[in-house]
Amino acid sequence: MEDWSSSACNLGILDTLSNDAVQEIVESYNGFCAATETLLCGAGDLSVGSEFVADVQSLCKHGLESLVRDHFLRALEETFEKNGAFKFWRHFEAYGKFSEIGDEEVQEVLCKALEEISMEKQYQEKCLLMLVHALQSYKENISEGRHNSDAERVYLFPKYQLLVSSVLMATLPPHFPEILNWYFKGRLEELSTIMSGELNDDGEIQDKAEISLNEKSKVSYRVGQMEIDECYHQGMLSENNKLVKNIGKVVRDLRSLGFTSMTEDAYASAIFLLLKAKVHELAGDDYRNSVLESIKQWIQAVPLQFLHALLVYLGDSISYDSVSSGLKSPLASRPSSFYPGINTPSEGLVRWKLRLEYFAYETLQDLRIAKLFEIIVDYPDSSPAIEDLKQCLEYTGQHSKLVESFISALRYRLLTAGASTNDILHQYVSTIKALRTIDPAGVFLEAVGEPIRDYLRGRKDTIKCIVTMLTDGTGGNSNLSGNTGDSLLEELNRDEENQENIGLDDDFNTDDKQAWINAQHWEPDPVEADPLKGSRNRRKVDILGMIVGIIGSKDQLVNEYRVMLAEKLLNKSDYDIDTEIRTLELLKIHFGESSMQKCEIMLNDLIDSKRTNTNVKATINQPSQRGAELGDTALPMDILNATIISSNFWPPIQEESLVVPQPVEQLLSDYAKRFNEIKIPRKLLWKKNLGAVKLELQFEDRQVQFTVAPIHAAIIMQFQGQASWTSKNLAAAIGVPIDVLNRRINFWTSKGILAESLGEDSNEHLFTLVEGIVDTSKNGGGNSGSREDILIGDEEGEQSTASVEDQLRKEMTVYEKFIVGMLTNFGSMALDRIHNTLKMFCIADPPYDKTIQQLQSFLSGLVSEEKLELRDGMYFLKK
Amino acid sequence: MGLKNFRSSWWHAVASWTWNAQDETCGICRMAFDGCCPDCKIPGDDCPLIWGSCNHAFHLHCILKWVNSQTSQAHCPMCRREWQFKGS
Ligand SMILES: [Zn+2]
Ligand SMILES: [Zn+2]
Ligand SMILES: [Zn+2]
Repeated sequence: MEDWSSSACNLGILDTLSNDAVQEIVESYNGFCAATETLLCGAGDLSVGSEFVADVQSLCKHGLESLVRDHFLRALEETFEKNGAFKFWRHFEAYGKFSEIGDEEVQEVLCKALEEISMEKQYQEKCLLMLVHALQSYKENISEGRHNSDAERVYLFPKYQLLVSSVLMATLPPHFPEILNWYFKGRLEELSTIMSGELNDDGEIQDKAEISLNEKSKVSYRVGQMEIDECYHQGMLSENNKLVKNIGKVVRDLRSLGFTSMTEDAYASAIFLLLKAKVHELAGDDYRNSVLESIKQWIQAVPLQFLHALLVYLGDSISYDSVSSGLKSPLASRPSSFYPGINTPSEGLVRWKLRLEYFAYETLQDLRIAKLFEIIVDYPDSSPAIEDLKQCLEYTGQHSKLVESFISALRYRLLTAGASTNDILHQYVSTIKALRTIDPAGVFLEAVGEPIRDYLRGRKDTIKCIVTMLTDGTGGNSNLSGNTGDSLLEELNRDEENQENIGLDDDFNTDDKQAWINAQHWEPDPVEADPLKGSRNRRKVDILGMIVGIIGSKDQLVNEYRVMLAEKLLNKSDYDIDTEIRTLELLKIHFGESSMQKCEIMLNDLIDSKRTNTNVKATINQPSQRGAELGDTALPMDILNATIISSNFWPPIQEESLVVPQPVEQLLSDYAKRFNEIKIPRKLLWKKNLGAVKLELQFEDRQVQFTVAPIHAAIIMQFQGQASWTSKNLAAAIGVPIDVLNRRINFWTSKGILAESLGEDSNEHLFTLVEGIVDTSKNGGGNSGSREDILIGDEEGEQSTASVEDQLRKEMTVYEKFIVGMLTNFGSMALDRIHNTLKMFCIADPPYDKTIQQLQSFLSGLVSEEKLELRDGMYFLKK
Repeated sequence: MGLKNFRSSWWHAVASWTWNAQDETCGICRMAFDGCCPDCKIPGDDCPLIWGSCNHAFHLHCILKWVNSQTSQAHCPMCRREWQFKGS
């Protein structure tokens, strides 16, 4: 018989037993087995109790206690399998793999099933208690009261508890955890709805039936213990709340069945799910408001309240979460540790708060990082979102996530052929401004900026756009969001003044920072430090430095600025240079006075010119006094003004010959003569192709005004005396090469003032003044009154000065043959290899002294001329 | 030909100035006359040229330094003739 096997080791005892004794044992055992059967399956029939006790004690007398215990536990196990577990699981069969479960239904089924199995368990516990009493009273009899009265219970109940859990775990259907999930999710949502009804827009809590308001609820949500204390005091959700009570009961039942950790996992995941949904709902795509506080408030108001109430209901607000709780007997762990008067937050609750907050920070952080590109486009309006992100990252330390995600967004969204250089630059600057909030030392910024800088280096107009952005408040960024026309330099300067006294916070994750520094071989501050700026700027994010870093050296930037400044000054029709002076002052602050020396002289020339101009005109002989031979073609000196430059300090000027109309020529020579008299021994050399002219063209039926370059004036003036010119004759009359004329005369044909036709010789173009008929399609409709076309700087892209690019191209052309030769030999080469080879071999005549950026810019010129090809970072000869 | 009248209401011209000298650079400092001497920042009136009776020109500041550095009678650094300011 199987039942005997457990006492097999006692076989020796059998020899000592008398027949009577054997008889008694057999009878008692049979009686015991029958009574056990009746008890456990007897549906509450405890009437066999006294027989049962007698049999147990009789068996004990023969030393068969362990047989009794083992048999009884085995019988409990079998019965529990049948009456408990089997029936319990049958309730959930219907919800197998088909996921959609009605919330109401789950709640109902779960509660019913738990009730049923708990009753069964309670009944079994009652039976077990009978055995305990029987065994105990036997022992008390033989030991005359010295026996530890609780020993049997302490031994048997944990065994039973283990048995219950083992049976359930062994038969657990795989979808049960999911059902628990569903249940808690539904309850929490219900709870959240109740709570949000109590929270008005300001997050203040209103009084409601089961929820008592405490004035303190309006105060701060500081981090730390106090907060939790407050939430205790508020008692917004008491453990007596009906919903909490129901949930509490379910949790308690589940625990008593041994599902402690599964239950906790289920409500934890429901809480996290709800929290995640809440974060998404609160944060959304709104970047102009901080949401972190509302999220924390919500955590405080809903999940923490719920957990607190639940823990209080379960009575383990303090011992909760201790390692042994899962195995502890539910009878042993009852109320002992809860004292209603003492409001100390449990360790468990503090831990929950930290977990929830970490999760919320991480969720918000991920949400913001995923939209960082848009957020930065919206900067500075989006600074609340940036501020939130900063706090999140300080908490999670996951800065590297930001770097990776943002770089890939940049590559995908910004660094594409379709984006204008200006847009890229503005996004770059916004990125720097936005990220320096998060990363005051600029470490992550360095990594994020690298791909943008690399990309910009490959664009030909980068330097020009940078200079424009830095120095020009009106051009470039044309967004009309009410921004003042401040240049970036102006703005940087203002920021610097504002930030003078603000220290640098240093409290972000130092390990992470160090890791990045190491990983990126980051070197601080690529620009030469300006002695004026001192050491306080050494560790701050240096926006200007990061912009100059794109170009490589400040000299290139200054050089480009000088060319642009020259262009601007030479096209001025007055001497108003206030803006340029201000810009120069700012540039001096950032790049040093000596770098800006030439620009300073250029501006000084304008100031001097104004003075000299007044002086010359005030002291010159009036043309009216010069007699009649000039007649009415003579022009008054009033109309002439001059800018006189110190050409050594200006960028190379594009000199083109030009014959200006005779009356103007007369004025120029009178002016130069007077200058020479005043400034002896200095003299003037006119650059007749430069400057600006305002014209009034009076026709029979209309008057039009233009501000044009001198060559345009020279062209049109010729038509006053002669209505038609061949291009050849006209070019000769104004002293310019015929191709120059053909190019520049387009201005007048495009304005409908001149008409072009083929001459007698078909190579000849004939230009004729358009009179009387107004070509509306070209004039935009207006056929009377006066209109004015401003043509400063020339729409045909003619420049007074050689651009930096042209200068560079001229200087680089020497190397072109060499580069072509290398590529012929090697097939293909990367940029840095070309650069290094040139450095190695071109050491004389002229030595190669260009930066890699200059080389890249030159090569991209060759690519656009289709001499070279660039594929995957390698240059090839174009076949 | 109809009635027409083309005129410029103003003409803003551009010129460069230059010293009316034979040489381009100062024989003392080797800088361009149209630039300025090493001690000056702004060319033109602030750093004028001066001619000697030998017709050699120098930056005023350069020749003054030179003259003052000579213990006895100064000579033109170019032609070694006795230095006299032109016209004096
Ligand atoms: Zn000199
Ligand atoms: Zn000087
Ligand atoms: Zn001399």
